[in-house]
Amino acid sequence: MKTRAEGPVPWKSSSGKGNEPALQGIWSGTISFSLVAIPVQLAKAVEPGRVSFRMLHSKDYSPLARRMFCPEEETTVPPDEIIRGYEIGPDKYIVITDEELESVSPERSRTIEIVEFIDMKEVDPVYYDHPYYLVPSKGGEKAYQLLVEVMRRTDKAGLAKFVMGEREYLVAVKSTEGVLALITLHYIAEILPYEGISPKDRKIDAEEKNRIKKSIKNMMADFSPEKYADGRRKKIMDLLKKKAKEKAPVEAPQVEEEEGEGPADLVAALKASMRKVKKR
Amino acid sequence: MSRRVVEIAGRRLSVSNLEKDLYPSYGFTKAHILEYYRRIATFIMPHLKGRALTLKRYPEGVDKPYFFEKRCPSHRPAWAKTMEVRRDDGERMTVCLVNDLETLIWVENLASLELHVPLARAGSPETPDSMVFDLDPGDGANILDCARVALILRDLLTELRLSGYVKTSGKKGLHVYVPLNRKETTFEDTKRFSKAVAEIMQKNYPNLVTARMAKEYRKAKVFINWAQNDSSKTMICVYSLRAREKPIVSFPLAWKELENLSKQGDPEKLQVMHSEAVDRAEKQDDLFREVIVKKQKLPYL
Repeated sequence: MKTRAEGPVPWKSSSGKGNEPALQGIWSGTISFSLVAIPVQLAKAVEPGRVSFRMLHSKDYSPLARRMFCPEEETTVPPDEIIRGYEIGPDKYIVITDEELESVSPERSRTIEIVEFIDMKEVDPVYYDHPYYLVPSKGGEKAYQLLVEVMRRTDKAGLAKFVMGEREYLVAVKSTEGVLALITLHYIAEILPYEGISPKDRKIDAEEKNRIKKSIKNMMADFSPEKYADGRRKKIMDLLKKKAKEKAPVEAPQVEEEEGEGPADLVAALKASMRKVKKR
Repeated sequence: MSRRVVEIAGRRLSVSNLEKDLYPSYGFTKAHILEYYRRIATFIMPHLKGRALTLKRYPEGVDKPYFFEKRCPSHRPAWAKTMEVRRDDGERMTVCLVNDLETLIWVENLASLELHVPLARAGSPETPDSMVFDLDPGDGANILDCARVALILRDLLTELRLSGYVKTSGKKGLHVYVPLNRKETTFEDTKRFSKAVAEIMQKNYPNLVTARMAKEYRKAKVFINWAQNDSSKTMICVYSLRAREKPIVSFPLAWKELENLSKQGDPEKLQVMHSEAVDRAEKQDDLFREVIVKKQKLPYL
């Protein structure tokens, strides 16, 4: 779900934090297992701090639009002429329609069905895809609180399947900082092989090993992410603020403003009509 | 948060926060809003039907932040009618079609006070059913200036044997619609035509009209926004509420009525409130019906 405010929002992303909770639910339904059913909403847990730029035409600062281009005809292709093809070889495609895709999409569902509980320590971070928060809906607060507490104490996570958009996701529901988080996981088929990465020569010198162990021990700290920040982002935002102070922003032309005369016949007819209107 | 389940046309719909005052300086709750749309439904539905709805939601009320939603919210009821459309960039997007009362009540329960729709139907997104002149007063001009422009526009259209229909925007301006309802019409046609009209108006009434969007040209003038004739643009639907201090409606006016109001010279009298809207629509029926029915061809293109 994309939301957008009307008109220009100066420094829409310049707070440098973006930490206002985005509790706008993007999905709502229930978490369920055995006899428990907890109504919840899914909310974003992260907002990537990337500074995004609009591409402009250097001549007049018009924001540029993406168009689908056909190199064969050297022309822009209108949406109703665009279809999907799956590439099976050079210049060979299998065409698939919206209806066909729809027919193999999972049924929409309103539940996050926990099928088993696992130990979160067993899940290698390579499986982590995207984190969300689960927000309790009306009537679900008590059961929600209970699940948060039990899972926090045991470091267990519920493994579940759920459907959002057109996809079925494998997810882990776990307790984080007193709330429930939902992490979408990669399916095993998506994990790339690691064979061949580790060096062939596996001999390890005991003395070397001890030395490394010791250095690590010396450098041990508690994980405190607040110590680190995206330095480049901050520098870009500072630069933009400085530039905004020094110089007014460039403005895009609103529409084609050329005094185009319009079709000759129409203009002549309009002129004649206008004369009559003014005589009334 | 309070919830209630209502049944409309055999479908169950859960509505929430009915007591929430969404027009706090006037006093108009979610319940009032649902009631307004239920009563105006007969008149607004034909104008929403088959069009990709843009929701403009005010969950915390008209004086608090709002957001646009072009995509149909994914937490929609299974019976809500949707359609897959392609955006300009080729991406697909699922949009809501408000084809029945229950869907209308559902989107209103989402506090989508304002209902915005394109000039074309979702099934034929490149074919506008009408051409629009969006009359927007700049600083120092008001709705009475818009009325003057609208009346001149009506006369000009009459000379070209075209019928136009006018409604209040529910904010500061007026909208003049020219029904077309022909599958041969393109946005390129309506844009060229409306732009030529706007320019001739500007030439003949330079102190009253501008055809240019840039703010500096709009001071004390009425901007004829012809660029609304575009497949990517939406207009506030006739009979939709507007998010202002008071629950004012975008409402159709008879030309005679606009002439009279224009003579009286009170800008406030052009605005139609929710209750008056329902009463008047029930009495005079839908003054905007021709906009979606009448077939007209743009001449000289």
